[in-house]
Amino acid sequence: MRLSNEGENPLPNLRVLLSDEPRKRVLLLGNEAIARGILEAGIGVVTTYPGTPASEIGDSVSAIAEEAGLYMEYSTNEMVAVEVAAGVVNCGVRALTAMKHVGLNVAADAVMTLAYIGVRGGYVIVTADDPQCYSSQNEQDNRFYALLSNLPCLEPSTPQEAKDMTVSAVELSEELGLPVLLRTTTRVNHTRGPVVYGNLTKPKLKGEFVREPSRLVMVPANARPMHVKLLEKAEKAEEISEKSPYNTVVCKGNGELGIICSGSAYNYAAEATSLLGLDVGILKLGMTHPLPERMIGEFLKAYKKIVVVEELEPYLEMNVKAIAKDYAPTVEIYGKMRRSYFPRKGELSTRAVVTGLAEITGKKPPIDFGEIDSKYAEAVKDLPSRPPILCPGCPHRASFYVIRKVTGGKAVYPTDIGCYALGFAPPLSIGDILICMGSSVSTAQGINKATGVDTVAVVGDSTFFHAAIPGLVNAVYNNHKVTLAVLDNLTTAMTGHQPHPGTGTTGMHTTATKVLIEKVAEGCGVKYVRVVNPFNIDEASRVLKEAVQYPGPSVVVFRAPCTLMLMSEKRRKGIKTVPCRVTDRCTNCMACIKLLGCPAIIIKDGKVSIDETLCTACGLCASICPYKAIECGGS
Amino acid sequence: MDEFNIVLAGVGGQGILLASEILGTAAVKEGLNVRVSEIHGMAQRGGAVVSNVRIGDKVLAPTVLEGKADVLLGFEPLETLRNLKFASEKTLVLMNDETVPPTELMRTMKKYPSLNEITEKIHRFTRKLIVVKAADLALKAGNILTRNAALIGALAATGNLPVKVESLEEALRELVPAKYLEVNLKAFKLGFEAVGENKSSRF
Repeated sequence: MRLSNEGENPLPNLRVLLSDEPRKRVLLLGNEAIARGILEAGIGVVTTYPGTPASEIGDSVSAIAEEAGLYMEYSTNEMVAVEVAAGVVNCGVRALTAMKHVGLNVAADAVMTLAYIGVRGGYVIVTADDPQCYSSQNEQDNRFYALLSNLPCLEPSTPQEAKDMTVSAVELSEELGLPVLLRTTTRVNHTRGPVVYGNLTKPKLKGEFVREPSRLVMVPANARPMHVKLLEKAEKAEEISEKSPYNTVVCKGNGELGIICSGSAYNYAAEATSLLGLDVGILKLGMTHPLPERMIGEFLKAYKKIVVVEELEPYLEMNVKAIAKDYAPTVEIYGKMRRSYFPRKGELSTRAVVTGLAEITGKKPPIDFGEIDSKYAEAVKDLPSRPPILCPGCPHRASFYVIRKVTGGKAVYPTDIGCYALGFAPPLSIGDILICMGSSVSTAQGINKATGVDTVAVVGDSTFFHAAIPGLVNAVYNNHKVTLAVLDNLTTAMTGHQPHPGTGTTGMHTTATKVLIEKVAEGCGVKYVRVVNPFNIDEASRVLKEAVQYPGPSVVVFRAPCTLMLMSEKRRKGIKTVPCRVTDRCTNCMACIKLLGCPAIIIKDGKVSIDETLCTACGLCASICPYKAIECGGS
Repeated sequence: MDEFNIVLAGVGGQGILLASEILGTAAVKEGLNVRVSEIHGMAQRGGAVVSNVRIGDKVLAPTVLEGKADVLLGFEPLETLRNLKFASEKTLVLMNDETVPPTELMRTMKKYPSLNEITEKIHRFTRKLIVVKAADLALKAGNILTRNAALIGALAATGNLPVKVESLEEALRELVPAKYLEVNLKAFKLGFEAVGENKSSRF
């Protein structure tokens, strides 16, 4: 996605985002549309930690930041990203921080109190939720963070709205002196749609820090009055919500049925009512915190039945029911509380909304989904699954092989967030518990304390910097016996190869001081720290064995570059890859297949063979073959 | 036109996202409304990938409803089967015959289903099936990674798309990096000819 990475990823030339042609109409990904919104809003600083489905916001900005004249950074984690931006916006410069939904958990400590302090320059926090857990460990509904923090929340339903609302969020933020949440979902972030441009605003990068301790220093005596101020701002925000162009009655219908919806749910609701031939009223909410109480109240009065269509938690429904008590106590309200007409888990779809509405109205859906389901189930019976797997040539495969070989599968293996989480699947089977960023090293300590069993915790390089360091310090301080395997592939691979503190480059494509994981570990007080190349199986095994036997905490850094990065560099330099080759010494013992699960090793005509288009010549299979039957020549 | 729905299905790394973007960009060039829905993330390579392209005035939802695909563009036979729920008797299935066996098959020593079995299952949903040797065409063009361009070319030749061939070519020129453009255009042309020459496969 980044310009610096072209050749590997032949995706669009992001310079189209810089175009100074108002009313130009282009196809943009929701996340690219937010990047365009950043340019139209005159935002000077963008901070982010990459995470699906938010990553392309930061990546798009990184690609064009220098030319656009703004500053962006990949911060160490989401809390740092918010804290850096909090400094920026309190000097009167506009900023945006983008993160995935769970990133807001990390940032929440800063966000909750920044709400008291407020902002001088417009500040937008993008929280990208992931209904259906396409690429996440949970599917929490971050609209509740708006409720919890008293911050305004905007919810786009299309790329166009994502762009427009980014600009509006900055205006709203400055009007109220509050950060504004822009809550997206995967189907907004990762949907492309036509976007019509507005005017660019030259970003202002320089501001001034003004000492205002009573507003900025949140000791109890100052925090109490600032809480009152926050509640006053929230009241003002509600008045804005009543008049917001994003809260609108899209159609009135015949007065029988009224639908209230927000974000992506609007798209499904609109198509579902049209499919069912329903003449309904639709109240589409784009500003979902604070909600426009009077507007919703009047809408409730105008219909006999109200249906709330929303993804994940019944956030709107709870509020609508509370409003109904005052405005329309007799109106029937259908949603997902008490009786569930729509799913509370996973993402919505036109089908889910059609099904729910059909049940409520008694209308028959125009499509017989049951028939499709049974016909489909019959056709795909026994179809082998194709879950995401480690790439051919991935150095993590070698690391997992070593960990398994040395510990014989007898240790417990807490794992973490990153590509290496895929190691939990057979045949590698390294990954016994996974909670959140940085959890592996700390969870391992508890498991060892409770069982006495050896633990080898796995963490990636970017995740190590993000959240594992306090856990490592804890292991040293409380003398927990744990081995931390840092699988360092020199990039934030899973989210699209963003740089991090260990890579020596920044989001602005400048060089940076490399923060070395082994030095950090030593600095934390770990006495046994070693760096190995995972493809050097013998050496890596010897070191890991030592580490596991070490009486206190130990760290082994398995360092080898991400194969996608490596292959891309080879292609750029014109270096040919000579794939590995199975020779006639092969006895078809299947050790390579059973131990490694590499997608490039296939069975062809009953014999082990190597797919030349997939093989990266990493040599792992050659080095573990018991019969030395795989040749991996030079490349 | 109310809506025209394309489901693209295959394996991560086959160029599905770029193919979807080419279709979407071509639609925008013609002033049409469009939604292209993708899933990024977890798998850089090797996982099942599905993308939806919906073109038309009435289109709002990013995803195609079951049974409502006008075209199912299969980059890989098993993944084509996996997405048959979007197909009906009106759906054109255009499928690349290049197989990518899931690692599960290797580990369990099971066989990849034959092309006949796959065809039979597709025929339960629709008779409109065109099989394209996109990998061969891509290699003939000069780079296996152009199989997506070959498939788009093949789809264009069926005359089923609501966008012009010229718009697709223009989108290709815009989206493909300069040094890969020529080989992609060649693959597009080979794909177009492969289907175009076989008139009986037109619908």
